[in-house]
Formats: sequence, C-alpha cells, structure tokens
Amino acid sequence: MSTEPEPPSPQAPAIDFLQDEESNCYVALTHDHLDVNSIMNRVKSPQAGAIVLFAGTTRDNFAGKEVKNLQYSSYNPLALRSMLSITQTISQKHSLKGIAMIHRLGVVPVGEESILIAVSSPHRKAAWLAGEEALEECKARVEIWKLEEFGGPEGGVWRANRDGGLGEKVG
Amino acid sequence: MSSSKPPKGHFTILYFASAGSFTGKQSEHLAAPLPLRKLFETLEGKYEGMKAHVLDHSLVTINLNYVDMPEPGQEQEEGEKEPVVIKEGDEVAIIPPVSSG
Repeated sequence: MSTEPEPPSPQAPAIDFLQDEESNCYVALTHDHLDVNSIMNRVKSPQAGAIVLFAGTTRDNFAGKEVKNLQYSSYNPLALRSMLSITQTISQKHSLKGIAMIHRLGVVPVGEESILIAVSSPHRKAAWLAGEEALEECKARVEIWKLEEFGGPEGGVWRANRDGGLGEKVG
Repeated sequence: MSSSKPPKGHFTILYFASAGSFTGKQSEHLAAPLPLRKLFETLEGKYEGMKAHVLDHSLVTINLNYVDMPEPGQEQEEGEKEPVVIKEGDEVAIIPPVSSG
C-alpha cells in the first residue's frame, strides 16, 4: 500500500490542516467524509510495530432520547492549534512514530465517523495509551461544538463534554 | 466561521455554539478600545440574560489566546499587572464548553 496521501478529488471540500513534520503530527478539520486508510497511512512507519486507530461515530440517542440530526461547528484556527499542541505533547510523552487526528464538521449523519485518531509506535502498549489520551484531551479542550437536534418541540441542544449533561437549548 | 475585517475603531467578536444561538449572530463588530473587564457587561447590555445563560460558563480568547476574565467590580490592586484592553482590529471569541468527539 502506498504511503502517499490520496490526491484530493476536484469536488472535495478543502481540508483545513496543520502539521509538525519533525514529530510526524498531523491534525485536520473537514466537512467531507472521513477516510480511515488515508489517516492510517499518515502514521505508518517501518519502525512502528503497532498502529492504533480510533473511530468515533455519531450515536442515534442521548440518554434515551432519539437524535434526529447532529452537527459540529468549530473555531478552526484555534481548534487546529489546540489539536496540534495535544498531539505534539502526546507524541513526545509516548515516543510515538506518528499521530494524526481529523475531525469532521457540519452535519454528520447518525452512524458515520465524526473523529479519527491514528497513532503509531514501536510497541502496542504506548499506542493504546496514546490513542486514548489523545481522544480524552481532544474532547476536553478542542474548540469544536456539537449541536444535537431531537426533532421535538425543544429544538437543538449544544452538548457540553465536561459535565455530560444537556447543554444550552437553542432558541 | 468567517468574519469581515472590523471597521476603524472596532474589534471583531465571534459567538460560538450557545453564544451564537443566544445572540442570533455568528459575529459582529464592537467599539474599541474596550477594557476586558467591561466585556461581559457590554454584552449583557446588548443581550439581556446572556451573562447567566452563556458568559458565566464560557472562556474568552483575544487573537487566539485565552485570557483571564477579571472579577466584576474588582478594582485593580497595587502592583497588579496592567489590565487587559481589547484593541482596534482584535479578534475576540466567546468559547462555551466544548463538545468534540
């Protein structure tokens, strides 16, 4: 399999990204579908014996309430800066060979991926730990917001990760 | 989110998530300079109830850097560092609790 990233197709929306080539950290935001192979290819290395891939997918309910529609918005320049800082810190801590994190924005249909994180390291233990830490750090502080619409009279709700409770109602 | 460059004597403020829902706007231009400690009362004056509903659990950035919001009504004490002032052309953002993943 080639390690080259796939060339963007002409109709694909632009990917907003930042990278640190020295530590092989790559972070990105896109309105398009997420592609597992291309994010895995970004961290492949002949020195890595393990790649851990996390795929976060959108659920059809929150606390038993049916979610009809779900969308993400972001403060792109700040979110990318935070994502790069998280990946750089984790890469150094676990001596990774590579780490890549991409988050989807806009409407994400239920069951599709909203985030992919790929991590490579010489041995699997560090890759497992780094993958989990990267996700938890991202959820705690990256400037991205999820709006869930339940289809009922109450409208949409901005989710807040930090308390797991219902966020601010819209309108 | 895109926002046009602010006119002379103004800064840009970006409203994300619940801040955008509450104000009905994604961004606008406000008069500069504005001391940071006056920001929340300025917004509360424009959007009644915003402080309790949004601002009290949000963070604030100026030009992509997080800033500490001074306690309301707290006077500057001797030897304290210079109070932060939002300047013309700055980009300020209201950052409600995040929810990626």
